[in-house]
Amino acid sequence: MSEMNELRMVSQIPDLATEDVPKAGIVRGKLPGNRLGQLLMLPGQIVSLLVLVIPLLVAFYISFTDWTPTRGSLVQATLVGLDNYKELLVYDTRFVEAVVRTLLISAVCLALEFVFGLALAVLFLREFRGKAILFSAFLTPMMILPVVVGYTFWMLFQSNGPINQVLMLVFGEAAGLQWFRSAPLAISAVIITEVWHWTPLFFLILLSGLNAIPENPVRAAVILGATPRQVFWRIVLPMLKPVIIVAFVIRAMEIIKLFDEVFMLTRGGPGTSTETISLYIYKLAFSDFQLAYGAAAAFLVLVGTLVLIHLLLAPIRNQLLEARR
Amino acid sequence: MSVPKLEIINLRKVFGNGSVVAVDGIDFTIEAGETVALLGPSGCGKSTTLNMIVGLEDPTSGDIRIDGRSVVGVPAGKRNVGLVFQDYAVFTHMTVFENLAFGLVIRGRPKAEITRAVHDVAELLGMQKSLKLPAAELGGSELQRVAIGRTLVTKPAILLLDEPLSNLEASARLAMRRELRRLQSEIGLTIIYVTHDQIEALSLADRIAVMNAGKLQQIERSSVICEKPDHVFVAGFMGSPPMNLLRGEIARDGAFTGFRRESLFIQLPPSEINSGRAGQPIILGVRPESLKLALADESMIFGKVTIVEPRGPEAVVTVEAGAISLKAVVLAAGRPQEGSNVGLIADPSSFVFFSGETGRRLAS
Amino acid sequence: MMGRRLTWSLAFVLFGALIVSLFPVFWIVITAIKPPTDWNASPAIWFPSHPTLVNFRTLFDPDAIRAYGVGGVSQAATTSVYGSLLASIVGTVLSAAIGLFAAIGISRYANGGKATPLIILSGRMFPPAAIAVPFVIIYSNVGLIDTFRGLIAIYVAGTLPFSTWMLKSFVDDLPREIEEAAMIDGRSRLMAHLVVTIPLIRGGLLATTLFIFILNWSEFMFALVLSYSNVTTIPVQLARYVTATAGTLYGVQAALAVLAMLPLILAGLFIQSHLARGMTFGAVKR
Repeated sequence: MSEMNELRMVSQIPDLATEDVPKAGIVRGKLPGNRLGQLLMLPGQIVSLLVLVIPLLVAFYISFTDWTPTRGSLVQATLVGLDNYKELLVYDTRFVEAVVRTLLISAVCLALEFVFGLALAVLFLREFRGKAILFSAFLTPMMILPVVVGYTFWMLFQSNGPINQVLMLVFGEAAGLQWFRSAPLAISAVIITEVWHWTPLFFLILLSGLNAIPENPVRAAVILGATPRQVFWRIVLPMLKPVIIVAFVIRAMEIIKLFDEVFMLTRGGPGTSTETISLYIYKLAFSDFQLAYGAAAAFLVLVGTLVLIHLLLAPIRNQLLEARR
Repeated sequence: MSVPKLEIINLRKVFGNGSVVAVDGIDFTIEAGETVALLGPSGCGKSTTLNMIVGLEDPTSGDIRIDGRSVVGVPAGKRNVGLVFQDYAVFTHMTVFENLAFGLVIRGRPKAEITRAVHDVAELLGMQKSLKLPAAELGGSELQRVAIGRTLVTKPAILLLDEPLSNLEASARLAMRRELRRLQSEIGLTIIYVTHDQIEALSLADRIAVMNAGKLQQIERSSVICEKPDHVFVAGFMGSPPMNLLRGEIARDGAFTGFRRESLFIQLPPSEINSGRAGQPIILGVRPESLKLALADESMIFGKVTIVEPRGPEAVVTVEAGAISLKAVVLAAGRPQEGSNVGLIADPSSFVFFSGETGRRLAS
Repeated sequence: MMGRRLTWSLAFVLFGALIVSLFPVFWIVITAIKPPTDWNASPAIWFPSHPTLVNFRTLFDPDAIRAYGVGGVSQAATTSVYGSLLASIVGTVLSAAIGLFAAIGISRYANGGKATPLIILSGRMFPPAAIAVPFVIIYSNVGLIDTFRGLIAIYVAGTLPFSTWMLKSFVDDLPREIEEAAMIDGRSRLMAHLVVTIPLIRGGLLATTLFIFILNWSEFMFALVLSYSNVTTIPVQLARYVTATAGTLYGVQAALAVLAMLPLILAGLFIQSHLARGMTFGAVKR
């Protein structure tokens, strides 16, 4: 039951950086007129029910069967209990590898996106001309379709492509790499693509957060004798913590599902070295037609993601509770 | 002779290529252990002056000396002053202890020393029980004490406060006033604070520095400044209600010399007049407390009561006669009715005269 | 770190970051205007000597595509452009509308159904590849495979968390007194919302709509899995061009990619000020 409460808090993430927004009326109780409220939420609930809940339940049911499309209709499928789940967790090394691989790639990408995004955000705290245009320019990568990003970097990483050309220019003829022939290089290519694509999100969120930090505590620290470095690590970053965590949670939720870019870049190859969870499930469901098995894998991923989010939000759970009061 | 704690010498601050003169050459000195208020309306330059003392702003010209040493050009962190912001600016992500310890922690002091210093200050301010609490859980006046404590731990030469009482409720204000007084007497702290509220200034400070439009109008002991304003501005600012001010001139009316404004003539004894001033514009100042009710034929001014504001044991009465409006403070028991006609009288020795041109007080 | 001015070394870093950010976009655009002879040059050409728009024309010309003789791809991109426009626009409008009402409901009234927000949010956490499984099954049974209705339904449900939460944060910003004032004036609650609430958040509504549009336009997995011949979207078409031809159709592929990119970059410019709010479900505002 407390799981539900915490998740409810996730789902009602309150305003964390709203210095400039008056919150009149929110602290008081809601307007009366429950009937209208329920009516307003009805379309959303219907859509969610039909298009989310029911397919989810169907998928849940399937995961306990051994059904494939070749075996006739679903209602006749045999229940095999937890066989699929057991198989996935215990015997299917490919699945476990995909999970570990996805988590590792995600961790590296998130870390890099955070560092680069923070560096850019801190830079943007300074004054210089053309900030508005530069801001738009830096946000551009985030606006591009994942498929196009994957495709573009697929071209860039070709053996005769510009990335190799630059490498060879700087490091000599031998520096040209076969990005898609070896596992570490392919994984690096995926990471580079992802980081390029989504660093702007961290940049955007962190910049918002930095701008929202009140000036007076920073000044107070300076007057007490803190160096700029001390101010950054002891005052600014800790005050930024809630925003940082929100950024990580948002991005983590999406990067676990990494599919489009990898699909266009490597299709999971060479071999299975860049096969993310989504790619594996896709293969299971739509290449091998092991739909039941794939459904079971999907639910494991769902549970895992929920646990992960729960853990990530732990440090600021108190703050979320406070803000809701 | 001991070195003054703070010396401000011909301090000037100009913004925007000379277009805005925030502080226009002010001088004053503060001795150790004093509490001084920088008082004035918004825009008078008091906050800019405070910022320059602290080091958040650099002066355009002039000098600031703390304990005899010039601090112009010295970064704020190295001036050994403490500042308490109007919104306290406590570090909300830290505990009370960490807040207090901050100044010493970043200086790399040993843990034992830090703990002892924090406990000393906490005891001084009555915060021993709250040390482990997250600062975010505290209320207004507690936060202010954390902010004060935070600066005290580093043993600053001067404690500066920006509008210290304005964010507090009335009951908390009394408590904080007592607290600051106690700090001053117990540890001999030198305190400077900025306020726009003259009641706040009068209640807390030993001396008040009144500023207006970048200039220092007067710096005077708070017990005296209401009676002895040096300038018409100070006279009209201090006190509640402030001094009544009438523009007019010294003139003769037959055999008598006195103050005249249109149809009003107040005879003044020769001791109060410098007849060389005849004909020049002059401003007569009289405190509302000095005006008393009188019968028609004894009074200096006779007019109609337009407003009576009860104030506990007293009442503020506004009397209008023609274009002249005066406020008087009378006992509540004897207050007149609104709409009635009354006369006012005052002892001429309580009058204060100011030059109609410069606003400066004239020696009578 | 807290200085005000931009030093030369920092400006250099900024410039480098700018180059890195924009180079891939540059490359795609350049490739799209390369004549076919330049496509497979080795090493790749950075500045074609004879830039041309012929690739864009080829995209919409079925004969030209077929003439390339590349295996399995004989489809011009026309259907996919039409498909993307239809699915994205309708899906976005529906998602924004439903989300708007839900947002008002959640923001102004007692949480009717504590589970609703949770369910809406968890829709984002499920790997699309997996939720596609039951969809394929259900849709085949009700005849929704390869139809726009089916795809649009998914687009609406998938973006509902964003539209609801983003709009909720805009509604939260409005003081309740405004609607109460309209109600005192004699209007019913619903009218108050229609006449007062919605017009006042129209800036946020526009931003949310564009944001959802970006999400739908970019969507790949479901379109890939649920479409065969009738329904295609641009991302799927691009994937087909790439996987079928193994890259020898560079210019044409890039042209399609450019077409795909343009609306989003434009939309992104419009909603920049609200991006932070949208991306974080309303938690972080500008």
